[in-house]
Amino acid sequence: MANGDQHRSKCCFLEWMKLQERDLSELLQALTLTPQNDAELTKLAQKGVEHFESYISQRSTLSKNDVAAFFSPAWCTAWENSLLWIAGCRPSAYIRLIYALSGADVELRLADFLRGGAASGGDNLGGLSTGQVRAVDELQRRTIREEDRLTTRVAGLQEDVADEPITAIVKGVEQIGELSGEIERALDEHEKAMAVALEDADKLRLNTVKEIFGILTPVQGVDFLAMSKKLHLCVHEWGKKRDQRHGRENC
Amino acid sequence: MAGICCGVVREGETSASMEPSSRTLKRRKVELLTYKFIADVAVPPAVECSRKRQKLELYASTAASSTRECCKNGVQSSEAKSKDESEGSHACEALRSSRPVNLRENSASTELVENKILRLENPRFGVTSVCGRRRDMEDAVSVHPCFSQEEGSVSKGCHFFGVFDGHGCSHVAMKCRDRLHEIVKEELESDRLAPAQWKEKMERSFTRMDEEVQESNGSDRIISNCRCELQTPRCDAVGSTAVVAVLTPEKIVVSNCGDSRAVLCRNGVAIPLSSDHKPDRPDELVRIEAAGGRVIYWDGARVLGMLAMSRAIGDNYLKPYVIPEPEVTVTDRTDDDECLILASDGLWDVVSNDTACGVARMCLRAQNPPSPPRSPGSSGEVRNDAAFESSDKACSDASILLTKLALARHSTDNVSVVVVDLRRERQQQ
Repeated sequence: MANGDQHRSKCCFLEWMKLQERDLSELLQALTLTPQNDAELTKLAQKGVEHFESYISQRSTLSKNDVAAFFSPAWCTAWENSLLWIAGCRPSAYIRLIYALSGADVELRLADFLRGGAASGGDNLGGLSTGQVRAVDELQRRTIREEDRLTTRVAGLQEDVADEPITAIVKGVEQIGELSGEIERALDEHEKAMAVALEDADKLRLNTVKEIFGILTPVQGVDFLAMSKKLHLCVHEWGKKRDQRHGRENC
Repeated sequence: MAGICCGVVREGETSASMEPSSRTLKRRKVELLTYKFIADVAVPPAVECSRKRQKLELYASTAASSTRECCKNGVQSSEAKSKDESEGSHACEALRSSRPVNLRENSASTELVENKILRLENPRFGVTSVCGRRRDMEDAVSVHPCFSQEEGSVSKGCHFFGVFDGHGCSHVAMKCRDRLHEIVKEELESDRLAPAQWKEKMERSFTRMDEEVQESNGSDRIISNCRCELQTPRCDAVGSTAVVAVLTPEKIVVSNCGDSRAVLCRNGVAIPLSSDHKPDRPDELVRIEAAGGRVIYWDGARVLGMLAMSRAIGDNYLKPYVIPEPEVTVTDRTDDDECLILASDGLWDVVSNDTACGVARMCLRAQNPPSPPRSPGSSGEVRNDAAFESSDKACSDASILLTKLALARHSTDNVSVVVVDLRRERQQQ
């Protein structure tokens, strides 16, 4: 039942957003504690990854029935959907977030550093160490390569619609939009391939996040996780406001 | 043809462009007065070539196998050649032991020339090259300490540093990274009796580099994942900047083509050793128009409305308006010299020469004496930092810090930074 799929998929997303909200307040709370407990922070980051993992596996199951809904989800706002890359965020955007976070108070520290206030060299300016900058750069290049590979694959799938076997069926169709066993099979086949692309994109997102936690210190990792959740929640809410402004009803 | 700026750049003197009128004459005068050949200066026999650390450095930073390979080859060739010379054994020793040899104990490496103690130091440098906010990596960096070991050649004991910022695709920048130091080496070694005519030799090297790039278009596949796949006419619209510093015991020879930049930090003052080749630089504008080209303002000044720099290696489609001819500056090294910074415009677009200079010298100073291992609390960030020894770590810190600053200031380009420590050995102790 199509309606049932839609409902389940929407619930999956809304629950994920609620969970992110709860996780966010926990993460922000942990960041205010002094002294920082690395073991606790690592556990929190780990929990965040696990939550993401279970969301991904849920939607992987759901997408087996109705993958198209995930590429342009009705439960997201128009603005959010305009930002989607294979039904989610671009993993390369995580790296941009790291750069933005690590550069946040650099000007303040720079003035200090140039006055000679910082005695121990390079690491006093900006959050990332030498090894981290290199590791992040290496991860970025790899992530972009993988992203481009998947983009090309999806482009191929989109082009496939204008090719055999679908076009041959279109040629033989007498009434526009009429369905047949043949066309159903062709479309199912196509959706299956799209679902695999979605699964692979989600894997890339998950692996990128995992690698980021391997590079960042526990406190940086929790900061990153908190910011990414806050950003996602904000994008969703801002999207709703913009939808309203344009006369679209909220989902 | 525009005149070539070739004089000794003195403190406080910027390499700003001159008035176009009677420019060539003025330049020639400058050249005659200040250009000093150094071939008559004896080249100290022993060369310190300890660079295990640098190899690691390159390995970690450029992530380009060919650069690693070149660096390795450099080590091997210097070892092989120095075997024949008794003095050369010092170099071999230094190569094998990972700790630097104390130069003061090594009398063979110092020699009194013109009341000045000359010595060939280990080059201490740091390299950082990141993709940053771009999706394509088109920058390339090449560092070759002791890149020539030819006896009697002016280049013996010199070090090569280059930053190449590609446009259109990355293959021209890569080719420059892989080949330019070899071409420069050949040029410097080719004519050992002639005085060190840096300007001509560097010009010829850049011309040859450009020719090689043209030849390789469509023929050999340099890199498999090349975006343009070396298909004409697309690869005709590919090029690269090149800023190259050849460091001798007493001179800094900077050759520049394009809008990457070399800046010397001397006693806290930033002295640019190159002048960016922008299409709206008055003398470059005159040169382009004299060649029949036009500079059109289309998202900034661009040659024929396309390329936002007036000189580059490659870019066949814009010849003869865009030329591969470098401007060469020869600068005497002084005891006040602190460091040399080579970087792509990913840095210079958002960080001024003065700020870059300030950051780099603070890093070098902070490392003197070497600081204890960083941030005791954070266990997660050990990684490969520990592998760098302290003197190189200072340069590495400086290059990383400048890169981080560029990223923090929202540089939208690839960022490549090379920092070379120029402080004399005795000042550091």
